[in-house]
Amino acid sequence: MTSVVTSLPELKEIEDFLYLEASYLDRADLDNWLDLYTEDCTYWMPLDEDQDDPLNHASIMYENRDLMEIRKRNLKNQWAPSKHYKVRSTHIISNIRIQDRCEVSGDCTVTSQFLALMRYKTNHLFGGAYRHELKRVDDSYRIRYKRVTLVDCDAPLETIIMYL
Amino acid sequence: MSKYSTEELSAMVEPTRYHRKLFVDEDIFDLEMERIYGRAWIYIGHESQVKNPGDYVTTRIGVKNPVVMVRDGNGKDIHVLHNRCGHKGATVVNRECGNVTRFRCNFHGWTFRTDGKLVGTPHATGYQDCGFDRNNPQYNMPGVSRQGEYRGFIFASLSEEGPELETFLGEVKSSFDNMVERSPEGRLELVGKGFRYVKNSNWKAFMDNLDDAMHPMVTHQSVGEACEDYLREMGEVSDPKLKKIVEILNPFISSYEFFDEMGVTTCAYGNGWTGGEASIHSEYDEIPGYRKLLVEAYGEEKARRILSVNRHNTIVYPCMTLKGAIQNIRVVRPVSVNKSIIESYSFRPVGAPEELLQRNILYSNLVNSPASLVGNDDAEMYERLQLGLQDEAGDWMDTHRYLNRDKEVKPGVFTAPGTSDLSFRNMYKAWKEYMMQEAA
Repeated sequence: MTSVVTSLPELKEIEDFLYLEASYLDRADLDNWLDLYTEDCTYWMPLDEDQDDPLNHASIMYENRDLMEIRKRNLKNQWAPSKHYKVRSTHIISNIRIQDRCEVSGDCTVTSQFLALMRYKTNHLFGGAYRHELKRVDDSYRIRYKRVTLVDCDAPLETIIMYL
Repeated sequence: MSKYSTEELSAMVEPTRYHRKLFVDEDIFDLEMERIYGRAWIYIGHESQVKNPGDYVTTRIGVKNPVVMVRDGNGKDIHVLHNRCGHKGATVVNRECGNVTRFRCNFHGWTFRTDGKLVGTPHATGYQDCGFDRNNPQYNMPGVSRQGEYRGFIFASLSEEGPELETFLGEVKSSFDNMVERSPEGRLELVGKGFRYVKNSNWKAFMDNLDDAMHPMVTHQSVGEACEDYLREMGEVSDPKLKKIVEILNPFISSYEFFDEMGVTTCAYGNGWTGGEASIHSEYDEIPGYRKLLVEAYGEEKARRILSVNRHNTIVYPCMTLKGAIQNIRVVRPVSVNKSIIESYSFRPVGAPEELLQRNILYSNLVNSPASLVGNDDAEMYERLQLGLQDEAGDWMDTHRYLNRDKEVKPGVFTAPGTSDLSFRNMYKAWKEYMMQEAA
């Protein structure tokens, strides 16, 4: 059974969870960030706004837990020249909507809009749409799937050094 | 009048070094656009992008020449036209791709056939008895000086002079052949959109890097180590998805001996390739059912030969590189002396198992995306070149490695150990040849 959620306590709880995730990204704290994800998670940043196939078409990022673990380790590796610079960002998340929620499991699908100003050598401004599929675990959530559709996903892009 | 005489330009490339100004001097960049990008065969697009009559894609040659590649209304010919209205000069086609019956300029409504011929000028009475001749070719969207096609890849040259496309490609035709023959039907199709990675560096930083086999184990050391760290924690790797990731990333930190063994080959016009039977692609797992399809299409012997060619990067100087083994090309679009856009396109080898394309896509995501662990470090090193080379404390970039160790295996075709600077020397020899020719 699914329903559209309008009640404030649930929305507030989900908002807080998204803000928590954003706070880890703001500090480039991938250890804590990755702990918010399930073992079978997917992180997808498509190359095309309406892209529905991540396997037969290129994506800016299409990562499972393994790749996220490798990227996390690479970020800390002293021999990665592109990682010699401090990365800081500030994520603003808004327009949060619960698209779908299972009343039995508590799992839900949440969409939102974001802007992130990232300091990586110079300032980079990213903006777009988030889609989170959240799994209810204990009294919180884990992210099973996150799609980040950048406004300029198919434009020429400079280095994207960090998850958004 | 050029700021630099041919003598001065010539002195900037010596057999074992080239001058830092090649990377940081704006006048040299402008001259390169005129003398190299304005003359050489430049990759425009693939025939599969314009399958139907009226299909078009836009791009540019060098910095100043927007062009459109279009399938003629007759469904047969492909034209590469300057994207310029013959009336006042505005660009006519402004979408990245699309389909038209005629091109229509949005300024004053002049219309053009798909071969560029002017066919319509609104409110025609104004052109009566005033000496205007609609059939004068100056009013068309002109075709480029020369265009050519090799196995579905369309090239254009802005110069009437110069070698024919196939002469220009020479030995590297075999890399295109291998890429096409990896399809059991001998056909490639470009897949959707490609990456466009903006690198804050000169276009030659990218070209130099392609067959520079001394950099992967250093620049990309962290990627291999991150993989190894994770695998050590995981213990035995049985998950097929993880195996695919590892087989793509780990070869980047292969040993110097491995890359030497892989070899480098050069030929005329700055072209060449690294790798042969061995390369960072040669140890990939076989895709189930793929070999059988190739054997059915080509026979046992030829299928074996096709699969044994595992070249790393093939250079088509000055603008592109291809990887036959994973059906990917990358194209450099220079923007300014210190900015370039690197496009990356994957191709579907028609008739091959879907899993092959999916591995090619995975490779491309991991290596060519603007968020790539591998590509990020290359971009960073190119940028450091731009920073360091501004300093007049030193003037030269060195290319001594394995000098005089080349073997001429065919007239004009040389091979050397893979970590040789042969590819650099070959590209800068071509650079000099182009740059020494003043405008006709």
